[in-house]
Amino acid sequence: MSECCGGLKLGQKVPMFELDTYEPTKGDFGKFRLEDQIKNKRWTILFFYPADFTFV
Amino acid sequence: MGCDIVTVSTDTQFVHLAWRNGEKELAKVQYPMASDPTGKVSRMFGVYNEDNGLDLRGTFIINPEGVLMNAELNWYNIGRNIDELLRKFKANIYVSRKTNEVCPSKWKDDGDKTLVNPGAKMVGKVHEALAG
Repeated sequence: MSECCGGLKLGQKVPMFELDTYEPTKGDFGKFRLEDQIKNKRWTILFFYPADFTFV
Repeated sequence: MGCDIVTVSTDTQFVHLAWRNGEKELAKVQYPMASDPTGKVSRMFGVYNEDNGLDLRGTFIINPEGVLMNAELNWYNIGRNIDELLRKFKANIYVSRKTNEVCPSKWKDDGDKTLVNPGAKMVGKVHEALAG
């Protein structure tokens, strides 16, 4: 399989995206933008999980 | 080299706030908790489950140029190992700095044995290369 992830392939540039966030360090809502990560030369680890208030 | 961890589920940011502030197990969580209720980004990464609207357990490492370097995908009932995630992240940093080296399976951290300049001379001689 050259694709393991729906539309994305390893070694491919990830399309820009934005997500609303809750930021515990600020105690407030914010936005995560992949564009900002690239601008600031930061690595990103995206950790998807099913649902809040569950157990694993 | 800086890294940002961002968690994502299809819960709204309001649910994240409630969970983060109510659940004592999360008291040390400082990273942003992102919300993808329409599943748009989750679908892009191939973790969205159309049957129940919940994301699979997927972890993706994206480098500072925006290139996807790693993907790990688990079904709901198996958690991901954080030590392994850290190992892969450190390995990514290492090989991005030392472009003529690769990190073999036993590599865990800076200072562990790597394979240097893998090429024709190393073919069939990996055992010697790791021992040397």
